[in-house]
Amino acid sequence: MEEVTATVVMEGAVVGPEVAEATTAEKKGFKVVVAVDDSENSHYALSWAIDNILANRREDCQLVVLHVQHFVETTFMYPVAGHAVYAPTLSMDAVRKAHEENSKRVISRAVDICKSKHVDALTAVAEGDPKDAICEAAEKLHADLLVVGSRGLGMIKRAFLGSVSDYLAHHAKCPVLIVKPPKGSHK
Amino acid sequence: MSASGSSRGEHIVPEFDTENVEKGLFHQAKEGKITMVLAFDDSEHSFYALEWTLNHFYSPATGGGMGFQLVIVHAKRAMAAANVSGPGTSAEEVLQDAEMDQRKLAARTVEKARAVCSAHSVEAVVEIMEGDAKHVLMEAVAKHHADILILGSHGYNSVQRAFMGSVSDHMAHHAQCSVMIVKRPKPQKGTKKQTH
Repeated sequence: MEEVTATVVMEGAVVGPEVAEATTAEKKGFKVVVAVDDSENSHYALSWAIDNILANRREDCQLVVLHVQHFVETTFMYPVAGHAVYAPTLSMDAVRKAHEENSKRVISRAVDICKSKHVDALTAVAEGDPKDAICEAAEKLHADLLVVGSRGLGMIKRAFLGSVSDYLAHHAKCPVLIVKPPKGSHK
Repeated sequence: MSASGSSRGEHIVPEFDTENVEKGLFHQAKEGKITMVLAFDDSEHSFYALEWTLNHFYSPATGGGMGFQLVIVHAKRAMAAANVSGPGTSAEEVLQDAEMDQRKLAARTVEKARAVCSAHSVEAVVEIMEGDAKHVLMEAVAKHHADILILGSHGYNSVQRAFMGSVSDHMAHHAQCSVMIVKRPKPQKGTKKQTH
């Protein structure tokens, strides 16, 4: 089994002038990486971060929206009557495609939020286990701040803090901001 | 618009008003200043967190703190009881002395925090609150209507956290507002190996 490593891919979505700006901004300025997934919570976190962290210093900050795509197993083995069966490549491709579509959707929604608040954002997509992938991506991107929602897709009502957010709070190398949902929303 | 999203109890809806969410209209940006409560305890980690915050939000290069309000909170341990045996001293005296010492210590800590702020030409509200750090911070967040709670982190591993109880962990889970955990970057040539 090959090692699942996170790869950071700069999506083609928002390149060009922003990239040039990014390289100069990297020298100084504040790089904020926001991890988004399919959950409302993470998009709220993005919106909140723009309002409260970037606030009135948009020119100085660089925002990166990061999405971690589900890793698609290249082989899918399940024993049937003692024999291992490999899933047909056709279905693998379909699954991979579905993940990519989902990723695009999440990213474009995040970018829309950024645009509506007049923020230029870079996008990045990583693959693999969300916990590790976000950590690694934040390092590779030299994030000054990593922003996450407090709960994501596995929203257990009784859990105060999602497992990924919890992991990042302890393991990320850079400061981590955990954005809580607005007061009055269901716990 | 944000009001409709936060109307509670009546209907069983997900956390967010989906329609407005689609438009990216989660909430209006807050009127007035964004309040940051920073937990300070005289450790290197707190100093680092304070310096980091001042550098990234309150320095002239980064907007000079416009739109932000910094509140520094120090939790002073309350001296509850003392048990003394031996001639010449009474429990009350010892308690009083201990209380005095704690107060002096807290005052010194707070002075250090103030000094760091003045070095950055930042006026911050500095408060000493009595009690256990976790409760103190919950109170402070409520009292100041904090938007962000900023904490340093000792970077304990999971065993240490289980033993000593991590304040940042607790606040990340239970605080009503967003929590920012500022860690000191690990030194390149680490003296201690971090085990997770």
